[in-house]
Amino acid sequence: MNTNADTQDFKARAADYGQRYGILIALVLVCAALALANEFFLTQRNIINVLRQASINGILAIGMTFVILTRGIDLSVGSVVALAGVVSASLATTSATAGVAGAPYAFYIALSLGILVGMVAGWVNGVLVAYFNVPSFVTTLGMLSAARGLTLLYTGGRPVPSLTDEYRYIGTGDLFGIPMPIVLFAAVFVVALVVLTSTRFGRHVYAAGGNPHAARVSGINVKRVRMAVYIISGALAGLAGMILAARTGSALPQAGIAYELDAIAAVVIGGTSLSGGVGRVTGTLIGALLISVVNNGLDLMGVESYYQQVIKGMLIVAAVMLDQARHKHA
Amino acid sequence: MTKLLKTMTLAAALMGGTAAVAQDVPRIGAAVYGLNAEFMQLWAAALEQHPAVVDGVVEVTVFDGRYDALVQQEQFETMITQGFDAIIFVPIDIEAGATAVQAAHDAGIPVVGSNTRVNSDLLLSYVGSNDVQSGYMEAKYVLDQIGCEGGVVIIEGPIGQSAQIERLEGNQQALAECPNVTVLEQQTANWSRAEAQTLMENWLTRHGDNIKGVIGQNDEMALGAIEAIRGAGLNVNDFAIAGIDGVTDALMAVKNGDMASILQDGSAQAQGALDVAIKAVMPDYEPMSAIWEQYPDMPWNGGTDAQYNVPWTPVTTENVDALLEMRQ
Repeated sequence: MNTNADTQDFKARAADYGQRYGILIALVLVCAALALANEFFLTQRNIINVLRQASINGILAIGMTFVILTRGIDLSVGSVVALAGVVSASLATTSATAGVAGAPYAFYIALSLGILVGMVAGWVNGVLVAYFNVPSFVTTLGMLSAARGLTLLYTGGRPVPSLTDEYRYIGTGDLFGIPMPIVLFAAVFVVALVVLTSTRFGRHVYAAGGNPHAARVSGINVKRVRMAVYIISGALAGLAGMILAARTGSALPQAGIAYELDAIAAVVIGGTSLSGGVGRVTGTLIGALLISVVNNGLDLMGVESYYQQVIKGMLIVAAVMLDQARHKHA
Repeated sequence: MTKLLKTMTLAAALMGGTAAVAQDVPRIGAAVYGLNAEFMQLWAAALEQHPAVVDGVVEVTVFDGRYDALVQQEQFETMITQGFDAIIFVPIDIEAGATAVQAAHDAGIPVVGSNTRVNSDLLLSYVGSNDVQSGYMEAKYVLDQIGCEGGVVIIEGPIGQSAQIERLEGNQQALAECPNVTVLEQQTANWSRAEAQTLMENWLTRHGDNIKGVIGQNDEMALGAIEAIRGAGLNVNDFAIAGIDGVTDALMAVKNGDMASILQDGSAQAQGALDVAIKAVMPDYEPMSAIWEQYPDMPWNGGTDAQYNVPWTPVTTENVDALLEMRQ
C-alpha cells in the first residue's frame, strides 16, 4: 500500500519535473552532443555568439509569450522590427539624405521613439483584438502587411545608414564585457519573469488566457489585459528592431521578414500552450536558446543551412507532441 | 437640342483629342521583380529620369512584381490588355518569366530584358551585366590581396538564382588560378546582411584567423561579414573582403578602406533597355541616354544587338566620392 502510494507520488513528481525541465534537459543534451562533436562549441567566444544570436529572437519571443498566454498570436512583430528600426534610425543617422531634419538626435530620443513606434503598432493591434473582437490572427496579419508597407513608404525602399556610435552601442557595445544585446535580453527576461510570476498583472494575464469568462466574473478587466499584452509585444519588437539596426549598422526596410515565425517557435518549444493560460517565460528563454544553439552548432559543423530549417521544423513539432503526451498522462 | 448636340460634339472632339495625344506617345511598361530593395529603386528611378521620358517622347509605367512570378505574369496580361507598345522585363525567376514573354510575343509586343535573365529566345534584346565577370573580378581582388594563398570563405546568394549561379562560376574561375587557396566555407546567406553576420560569427569561431578573405556575392553580405569581424574584436584590415552591386553602405565602406565593391550600373541597364525598347517602337529613334557615350565598350549598333553588356565598374578610393555624390 505504502509503496504503491510512493510510486504514484514518484510518477506524478516525475511528470511534473518532465514538464518543467524536459526542454531544459533537451537543451543540455544538445549542448553536450555539440560539445563532443565540435571543439569550439564550448569556447567562451562561441557561447557569447550563441547568446548574442539568440537575443533578438529571444526578446521577440518574450513579448510573444505574453500574447500567447492570453490565447492570442502576434504575427506583426517582424514588420514592426523593420518599422521601428527605420524610424528610430532616421533620427540617429549622420546621413543627410536618409535622416529626418535635425538628425542626428541624441541616442535616447531615437531609442525612445523606436519603442514608441512599437507600442503604437501594438496598441492598434490590442484595441482591435480586445475592443472590436477581431481575431488576433487577422488583426496582426493586417499589421504585418501594413507596417511593412509603412516601412517601405517611409524609406522609399532604401536603407538608413551611418548610425551614430552612441546609437550603435545597444548593438555593438558591451557592459562589463558582456555584449549589449545579451544584457538587454537578460534584462527583458528578468522583468518579464517578475511581472508574470509576482505581480497582479501577471496573474491576470494567466487568468485571462486560462478562462476568460471566469476571469471576467472575478472582476478582472480582461479587455485591458489583452490590450496590454499587444503593447508589450510591440514595444519589445521595437527594441529588437533597434538592436538589429545597431548591430548591422544600418536599418534595412527588408529587416525582420519571417521573424515572427522564429519567435512563435521559441515560445512553443518552450512549452507555452497555444490555447492560452499555460506556459512560462523561462521555457521561452530556453526555447530561444535551443534554436540558436542548433543553428550555431550546425554552422560550426559545416552543415548546409537548408538542413537547419528542416531540423528546426522537426524540433517544433516534437516539442508540441511531447507536451501533449504529458498532458494526456496527467 | 442644339445645345446638347454642341456639347456632345465638343465632348467627342475632346475625347478624340486626348485619344490622339495618347496614341502619339508610345507607352512602355517596365515589369520589375520587386521594389523593396535599394538596387531596384535606383534602376526604376533611372528609368523615370531617362531624357526620352522627361521630354515626353514616351510614357513609362513601372509595375512592382512583389517578388512573385505569378504577379509578374498578371501584370503582363494587364499591359497586353491595355495595349502597351513595348515591355521592359526584369524577371524574378529565370524559368517562370518565359510564359509571360511568350504571351507578349503572341500579342505582338516587343519585350526587352534587363538586369536579370529569363530563359526565352523571344526577347528582342537583353541589356544587363555579365555576372560571371563580376564574380571573377571580386574573387580576383580578394585573392590578389591575400597573395593567392590561405583560406577564404564564400557567402552565396539564394541557391538557384541566376546571379548566384553565375557569380559563383566567376568566383570559381578566379579560385582555379590559385591552387594554394582553400575554400574553408561556402554557404548561402540569401543576400541578407543579418544572416551573413551570423554565419561569419560562427565561421570565425570555427576557423579563427585561418580566414584571410571573404568573397561576398553581394555587398549586403560582405557588410554583414565586416560587422561580424568587428564584433569578434578583430581588425577588418586583416581581411580581404569584396562584394558586388555598389549599394550606398558599401560605397561608404570602400571609402573607409574596409572592403572592395564592384558597381553594377543599374541606371545604365534601365536607360539602355529603354532606348532599345523605344527603337523597336519608333524606327527613326536615336538613343537619348548619356550611357552610350559613357561606355564606349558597349556600342549602340543601331539598337539591334541581341545582347548589351553594361560594364562593371570597380569602386576605388579614387572614384568613390563621385559615386556617392551621384546618390545624393
